[in-house]
Amino acid sequence: MSVIIKNLKKAYNVVVLKDINLDIPQGQILGIIGKSGAGKSTLLRCLNGLEQPSAGTITIDNQSFTGVSDSQRRRIQQKIGNVFQNFNLLSRLTALENVMFPLKLLKRSSHVSRSKAMELLSLVGLRGKEHTYPNQLSGGQCQRVAIARALIGDASLLLCDEFTSALDFETSLEILELLGNLNKQLRITIIMITHDMAVVREICDEVCVLDEGRIVEKNDITSILLHPQNMVTKSLIRNLVNKDLPHSLQDSLLQNPTAKSTAVLRLFFSSQAAGEPIISSLVKKYDSPINILFGNLDHIRETAFGCLIIAIPYDVSKMNAIMRDLDHKDVSAEIIGYLPQQGGSLWPNS
Amino acid sequence: MAQLLIQSFLETLVMVGISMIVGTLIGMVMASLLVLTQPLGLWPKPFIFSLLGMFLNAFRSIPFIILIILMIPFTRFCVGTAIGTPAATLPLAFASSLLITRVIEDALNTVPKGLIEVGKALGASNLQIIMKIQFLEGLPLIISGLTTVSINIIGFSAIAGTVGGGGLGDLAIRYGYQRYDFTLLIFIVIILISFVQCIQMSGDFLSTKLKK
Repeated sequence: MSVIIKNLKKAYNVVVLKDINLDIPQGQILGIIGKSGAGKSTLLRCLNGLEQPSAGTITIDNQSFTGVSDSQRRRIQQKIGNVFQNFNLLSRLTALENVMFPLKLLKRSSHVSRSKAMELLSLVGLRGKEHTYPNQLSGGQCQRVAIARALIGDASLLLCDEFTSALDFETSLEILELLGNLNKQLRITIIMITHDMAVVREICDEVCVLDEGRIVEKNDITSILLHPQNMVTKSLIRNLVNKDLPHSLQDSLLQNPTAKSTAVLRLFFSSQAAGEPIISSLVKKYDSPINILFGNLDHIRETAFGCLIIAIPYDVSKMNAIMRDLDHKDVSAEIIGYLPQQGGSLWPNS
Repeated sequence: MAQLLIQSFLETLVMVGISMIVGTLIGMVMASLLVLTQPLGLWPKPFIFSLLGMFLNAFRSIPFIILIILMIPFTRFCVGTAIGTPAATLPLAFASSLLITRVIEDALNTVPKGLIEVGKALGASNLQIIMKIQFLEGLPLIISGLTTVSINIIGFSAIAGTVGGGGLGDLAIRYGYQRYDFTLLIFIVIILISFVQCIQMSGDFLSTKLKK
């Protein structure tokens, strides 16, 4: 399902969402991230019909979802799957009955919905747990049941509300992997809200950062992680992409070079550049000793990216050539400071 | 004496049984209305909600013996007489429906908000949310509440003896108190204790079994 949100506003006594515009194509995994109180839950509740926006429109699969009759809204709601933070399973129904529940509300024949539910339960990896009650299942298993329930109405849009908060990290990863597979297999659109960048980075194609009811940044996941523009985005990914020098070394950096100083460069490289021997080619070409102060290589989905902080003896002419070279190789480089001494020990107290 | 005891026990059983069944039916409807119309309910109608609440509270604050007397004209109109077991069952059913309404209302309100939102997000109607989510999830609490109410009603049924309602309570007052037949009194007390125990135990068992 494609979702188009135009000029969405929501206000209770205070304004919670202002001027939200989003265009989510079919099959995309969109992460909506923000601190608590940013309005992300409200945005999701407007999308699943639990709240009515104060102004603006939501269009789901070319059908209007706002300002329509209750019956029209219900018809669309039945095509939307919801996964909640606390699973929200009915405690007195078995896993199978929970999955069948949406079809029971639609008064579908129990024979058909039963076999469909069985199929979905094995799709989410819960074969053999059909007749188990929720309180005998682990958190991860409960969330799997909830995902199966969200899918049984042939949902082509899945809305996930902080759905990993109640799970440990390993289990979260398993659930995220499951969602990623479902997205590939069934081509369902997934919108997930979270405050955890680690969740977003695992499977989202696009990320939209919400702060004080506004979208402050929206971009593909690689750009968000490597080149965050907004302060909020930066603070949200601080713990995820480590690209800063240790404090002890950072304090000894100088703003301006002196005659015998060493330049400290931060290099960002992604995809193909991550596979190239950039450092060794620099060493050969410029005959400069290069000292690696800090390094970090990582993957965001299929993209490899890295951050290196290196020290090169400062030389004005060489420096410009090196920067040009790096730019040619698609490596973004910036000089973050200078260290007073040349060569010798760069690390204080060592 | 045994025959007297058995007959009285059956009268108690009929009075309590009928008033519990009628009370539960009325209680279910009234509790659903209260839950639906409450300010944050699925169908907020503050006027209906407070009117219904005031009605319930007003009648619940009347002591049962006074309620029986107050209801005599109505009982006479419905049953034809104000004396006897059927006549005593009417105020009992009324009192039990008041108690049961509050019991069911509380049980329905303890169902987590998240589960109700599941229903809403699935496009369920208000009636479906009440019946298929709230009643389903609240059932263990409703059962344990009904257990408590039915024990209360057994107590009330003794008071119904004042209008010749019959039953064990009536027997205890007439033979035990007025004629001072202490042996009979002891028997009645033993029967009542075992009866209440049975109800409590089966209520607990059912409620635990339903909890999952």
